[in-house]
Amino acid sequence: MLAGFIFLLTPQSLTNKFQFAFARIFRLPLSISRNISLAARTQESFTDVVSRSEYNRLQNHLANITEQLEQEHQNVEKLSGFRNRLPLEGAKLVLADVITATISSSHNELIINRGQDDGLDEGQFVLGDNSIIGTISNVSTRTSQVKLITDVSSKIAVRIGVLDKYRLMEGCGNNGARIRLLPIQYKIKTGSNVYADKKPGLLGTAIIAGTVVQCKRDDENPSLWDVTVKPVCEIEMLDNVAVIIMNPKE
Amino acid sequence: MRWARFVVFILIATVLQADLVNVIAVSSLNIKPNLLLILLVFFAVYCDTYEAIIISFVIGFSADIIVIGSAMGPQIISYGLFGTLLAYLHRVIAIRKMPYQSAAIFVTGFLASILVCFLSFLRGQQAYPNMYVALFGTPLYSAIIGPFLFLPSAWWMHIKTHRFGLN
Repeated sequence: MLAGFIFLLTPQSLTNKFQFAFARIFRLPLSISRNISLAARTQESFTDVVSRSEYNRLQNHLANITEQLEQEHQNVEKLSGFRNRLPLEGAKLVLADVITATISSSHNELIINRGQDDGLDEGQFVLGDNSIIGTISNVSTRTSQVKLITDVSSKIAVRIGVLDKYRLMEGCGNNGARIRLLPIQYKIKTGSNVYADKKPGLLGTAIIAGTVVQCKRDDENPSLWDVTVKPVCEIEMLDNVAVIIMNPKE
Repeated sequence: MRWARFVVFILIATVLQADLVNVIAVSSLNIKPNLLLILLVFFAVYCDTYEAIIISFVIGFSADIIVIGSAMGPQIISYGLFGTLLAYLHRVIAIRKMPYQSAAIFVTGFLASILVCFLSFLRGQQAYPNMYVALFGTPLYSAIIGPFLFLPSAWWMHIKTHRFGLN
């Protein structure tokens, strides 16, 4: 009982190391059980249709290419002839398998089987089905913790659709996120894409992160929008992700 | 008590509870059984009181460790406390019939979930995404399938199910 209270009163950063160690030690059986769990939930596929995951991946790829094309157009207009580097040129993508996924109202995190040995570091962006799903929040030598964009402690700069305004998107748990402090003078449509803003050294170009599923007036300040965003991929169903390393050392 | 078998058994149950129980989750609320709760009651019913108390805390630790990012401690305390109470209760009332075992699983799961919620609240965290599922759904599902898992558990642990833990 005393041990229980000691654990209860110990800072969570320390107690998380036990959970992290468990995920690291048993990553193989955990991965296998997760794959079985995912396979059981996947419905029978038909020959003339693609899976939801594949559809999402292609849609997100299209959205990213469109966004990059738009950026390139702007660059061409601004620089009129100056050569510019492609947004993700030189970036390295490290593929990682998902060991465990925790998606609840309070925690939205993944544990992946890549760590410092693979060049991962805190703050790096993580792709799932070609969309930004979160950032690396904790790294050990061989595993890492990914804080999803829907986690209550997640805050990333985003832009909605064609609006030229960047705002912070905060996770609100249960696979959702919110964007606030956006004046109602801006027209925001349900279904608009939400792009994670580029961040020097971590993300070279804006990449799709979610779509607007609800847009209503803020209860506290009716002159502002309260925008609800959902990720564009089914994070719970992901079995692998890619970590973006913008400036790899080797 | 065969402790080596117990360690292997708990590790398997913990890994299964981490993800694989999603396979048998029911309804849109994703109600799934709690294997660790079932084992808590199993050991409280079929082991000696002293052993059952130690096992209850170990199972609580296992339950805490599988939820990455959550606060540790609430399940150690609640499983330890209610496992201990159940072990002492078993010295007075024999829980041998399956309906009684189901009732024990449900009541223990219900009370343990309440305590977990309270202790998590003290840490400023929400213990479960859906309170009703944790308080009623999971204990009920566990209570339905729990007694059927007692026999293979007893076989693995080499425990004679007709024996009482009265030490």
